[in-house]
Amino acid sequence: MRPWLLAAIPLALGAVIGGVLALLGERRMLQIAVAIPLAFVVIGVLASLAIVAVLLVRRSRAARIRERESARAAVSAAAAAETLEAERQRHRRFLARLDHELKNPLTAIRATAAAAGTEDPRWSLVDSQAGRLSDLVRDLRKLAELETRALEREDVDLEALIVEAVDALAAREPAAGGRIRLEVTRVPWPVPPVSADLDLLSLAIDNVLGNAAKYSSAGSIEVRLREESGTAVIEVADSGRGIPESDLPQVFDELARAANARDVAGSGLGLTLVQTVFSRHGGSVSLRSVEGAGTVVRMGIPVGGGHG
Amino acid sequence: MTDRTRLLLVDDDAAITAPLASFLERSGYAVRVAGDGREGLAAVREEKPDLVVSDVLMPHMDGREFVRRLRESDPWLPVILLTQVGESFERSAALDEGADDYLNKPFDPQELLSRVRAVLRRASRGVPTSQRIRAGDLVLDRTSRRAWLGARELTFTPKALTLLEFLMTHPQEAHSRERLLAGLWGFDFATSSRAVDHRIAELRRVLGDDPADPRFIDTAQGLGYRFIAQVVAA
Repeated sequence: MRPWLLAAIPLALGAVIGGVLALLGERRMLQIAVAIPLAFVVIGVLASLAIVAVLLVRRSRAARIRERESARAAVSAAAAAETLEAERQRHRRFLARLDHELKNPLTAIRATAAAAGTEDPRWSLVDSQAGRLSDLVRDLRKLAELETRALEREDVDLEALIVEAVDALAAREPAAGGRIRLEVTRVPWPVPPVSADLDLLSLAIDNVLGNAAKYSSAGSIEVRLREESGTAVIEVADSGRGIPESDLPQVFDELARAANARDVAGSGLGLTLVQTVFSRHGGSVSLRSVEGAGTVVRMGIPVGGGHG
Repeated sequence: MTDRTRLLLVDDDAAITAPLASFLERSGYAVRVAGDGREGLAAVREEKPDLVVSDVLMPHMDGREFVRRLRESDPWLPVILLTQVGESFERSAALDEGADDYLNKPFDPQELLSRVRAVLRRASRGVPTSQRIRAGDLVLDRTSRRAWLGARELTFTPKALTLLEFLMTHPQEAHSRERLLAGLWGFDFATSSRAVDHRIAELRRVLGDDPADPRFIDTAQGLGYRFIAQVVAA
């Protein structure tokens, strides 16, 4: 309100001086002669000033409204993030409880099967299925732990890491290794090292490479590394069976397996792991896929100092 | 009295101890069962076993307390702890409190059997379970987690040090990369085990150990790695 009072001061001052002069019997006249063209110019200037004043008032009001709205949006985004984090924590606690409650019964089942001996094929079946269940429970639990365990960061050369991962895959599966094409952007500068947990990062990259090999029996697998405005980007693209559109929204969920992947062994935990690892490093993972055409997984991780 | 090797199995869940005892008996051991740490201590006082397998989470006296008390009277009795998760800190905690090995529930009973045999072998060879151990001029203090080569203190990443500790406390045994990864890193759903190779490379670099002519860590072809130097209490 103060600025409006300020605006009233000249008016009040003028009125007081005028009143005093009138009371003192001031009778002199002030006559100003203005050329008509100039009068139009002055009227135009005054009108423009009035319009500008009105616009300024409206703009400041709109800015205030926007400010209020963005403050409200920030509050609701924070609330949403909080809900998501609370949801994650609940999920972690649930997995910990599940693991805890299942470990003794599963140990008992495996011990009973072992005591019964392996001669009986029915007990072997019980044992192998209990083993599968044990692995699953353990992996789920470890995935949940991955979200909170401390990262052991060191400077990681992504190109060296990828070359190593490709070599390891080629050693395991020579046919798949032969299909891999690596493309690394080095000009005008190489991708700077990233500060990361080497083990977790190589685990994630191995997973994505392994998927590309697993779900594409032919065609090349392209692995690309480049830097994009402060983010090191790794892309792994294959021309394999792809993922049905209806399965894409759940692709990073635990235990999610695409409808067209039932014939390939897998836990449905790999991509969850990949996403967890990258988000722990402040990065992100996205996936594009067309069934029957192929899949490209894009992993981004912030680089240390770097260019651009 | 029996001349079979005596195991004491300590767990509060009879659904586990009954079949597990029967399995271990069939594998040639004489097995006694105790329901918690207190009963376990009483059983050890009554008749000393050759090895103890104990759960961690138990009523009255849990596995850690049990091992601590056990160590007060019997520092050399081999113990395998059945822990809950494969986190490496859990493992070092188990070892810090004097367990010789650990296994995560739910485990494969065959795996327990091979751990029992390995721990007994180590015990009979006199591989030290002490906190300060030495192999040639390499000294490792397990409590302070520091290592020296001669007079020079060595600097390792935490994982490399954990790996060195594991190898030195399990010498002359070939360990597969998968086993090392599962045991020390806590994730065994890895599609590869290069994490182990990275840390072995670090250990060799810091120790100045030549892979072609190793003093400490040998690559067991197709198997994994083996600590070949003689380890004694320092």
